[in-house]
Amino acid sequence: MLSYAAVTTIRFDDIKVGEEFVSPGRTVSETDIVLFAGLSGDYNVLHTDAEHMKSSQFGERIAHGLLGLAISQGLAGRAVADLVELPFAGLSWKFRGPIKIGDTIHVVARVTDKREADQPGWGTVTIERRVLNQRGEVVQEGETRHMVERRVG
Amino acid sequence: MASAAAPGAAPSAERRCYFEDVVLGAPPLETPGLTLTPAHAALFNGLAGVSAGDEPGRVPDLLPLCLSSGLGWRVPQPALAVLAFMGFEWKFHGPLRIGDTIRSRSRTAAKRSMREGGVIFEDREILNQRGEVVQSGRLTLLVAKREAP
Repeated sequence: MLSYAAVTTIRFDDIKVGEEFVSPGRTVSETDIVLFAGLSGDYNVLHTDAEHMKSSQFGERIAHGLLGLAISQGLAGRAVADLVELPFAGLSWKFRGPIKIGDTIHVVARVTDKREADQPGWGTVTIERRVLNQRGEVVQEGETRHMVERRVG
Repeated sequence: MASAAAPGAAPSAERRCYFEDVVLGAPPLETPGLTLTPAHAALFNGLAGVSAGDEPGRVPDLLPLCLSSGLGWRVPQPALAVLAFMGFEWKFHGPLRIGDTIRSRSRTAAKRSMREGGVIFEDREILNQRGEVVQSGRLTLLVAKREAP
């Protein structure tokens, strides 16, 4: 049996399927990429060797895909903290295009489903998320599934 | 005296595991361990811009997967020549706390040759210090082929 501490105040009954949220934007910087390489230990040349990347299909360093996901989690939290900061049960994610240094991304999140979980007293909520750049291109997208406490009584 | 490298010459290439080198049915690769510290959580929360929450010892849900990508470089085998991370499916089986020690275990589930490179489907598990699988999933990676001689 999993145990999830109640980290947010939102309850199952408060969540409305179809609700959509748009986050503020954030410009992804070289510093973000350097810090993420240091934290994760992923020093793939894609993210760390500017000279090598000049001759690549991207022409320059690109952000780690998981850095984009991490930043998108922060952005989504600024739009609708109670919802996206619920404990994760699962996620499905696609990286559609590169995030380059200086790109500004934002997140569009929409509640697509909620249902009772197998564990008594808990539900799961599904959130569809799209990460868009300054040209409106979807660079990442997917859905996240979260555990949420059902209202007691 | 050795002559200096020509200006603009590429640095010596790191050894890489190319698409052709990936063997199906090979034993799973297990990484060294990494103990989750408050510094890991603070760096991640600051970088991602997520709220740390008021629950002491909480590990950000997305942090272990991020750390596993670096742990994957610390196995006795060259790193995959990844051209692009295409996507992944991920499940969370149980919580992690600061002080827990994670390691990652990976095996190749399938491979598919493409005109440019090939796609590798990698099954990955994050284990805690008791050997319990706390997160797991399948990653889809576009990997380079060896350059034609």
